Amino acid sequence: MIIRLTFAYLLMIMGAFFAIVTVIGLIRFPDVYTRIHAGAVVLTISAVLVCVGSAIYVWDFLLSLKILLVGGFFLFSNPMATHAIAKASYKRGIALPVEKTIDEYSTYLRRDSE
Amino acid sequence: MRQKIYTFLSLMIVWIIFAGKLTWDVFLVGGAASLLVSYFFSDMLFRKMSLDNNVFTHLKKFCLIIAFIPVFFYEAFIAALKVSRYAFSRKLDLNPGIIKVKTHLIDVTAITLLANLITLTPGTLTVDFDKSERCYYIHWLDVETKEEAETRKALLGRFEKWLEVIYH
Repeated sequence: MIIRLTFAYLLMIMGAFFAIVTVIGLIRFPDVYTRIHAGAVVLTISAVLVCVGSAIYVWDFLLSLKILLVGGFFLFSNPMATHAIAKASYKRGIALPVEKTIDEYSTYLRRDSE
Repeated sequence: MRQKIYTFLSLMIVWIIFAGKLTWDVFLVGGAASLLVSYFFSDMLFRKMSLDNNVFTHLKKFCLIIAFIPVFFYEAFIAALKVSRYAFSRKLDLNPGIIKVKTHLIDVTAITLLANLITLTPGTLTVDFDKSERCYYIHWLDVETKEEAETRKALLGRFEKWLEVIYH
């Protein structure tokens, strides 16, 4: 009982920590693409961790399964949304990467980067 | 037909989980809704179900996917810790870039799953997939090497092996 609750709290605290990381990353990173890494991808991990933690916390079969299903939907839908944002903002030229060491996508789109 | 039955069953399971109880009214409403959906959109959930009729292979695939989840979660957790190290470092020392990585995978579902897995591990982000050359364009937060083989190993390595076993 106590072990289960501590494990649940541990997972939820880790999720909260990653949520804080998300906010700090959103403020500090330089351009759209690096901000997506923090703002969408780390957030997914944090949301799923909180979901798993609360599923262990309630420990009721159907309710836990429901919460886990919500976490699963996070895992499915969030990468699609991030991918769509990144592709659209690159192809339309809304925001191009500011800092970069290498950019092979611009040659694929036949766009002169330099 | 078989495709439709499988779609109906999986929709019903999801509905019962979301409803949270098993009474007649819940069962009837869910049954009607999933009957309609599975009649019209069954080809979107399971593709090529009629090609191999062996139930055992599907079961094996399902078990492998379930076994894959902890492995994936460990990787994602480690990568999230890496990104948080960047976020907390005093001087922002990133060198981001978009690189091109080729893949062996042929199955469409496997390609989609691999793209999702790459996006979900923080630090890498799939921007686009080129169908004619079979390569991903991946935005990497910290480009370590520009060598083709080494980037493949660093980014795709373990995931691609798993997916090759599952969708051989």
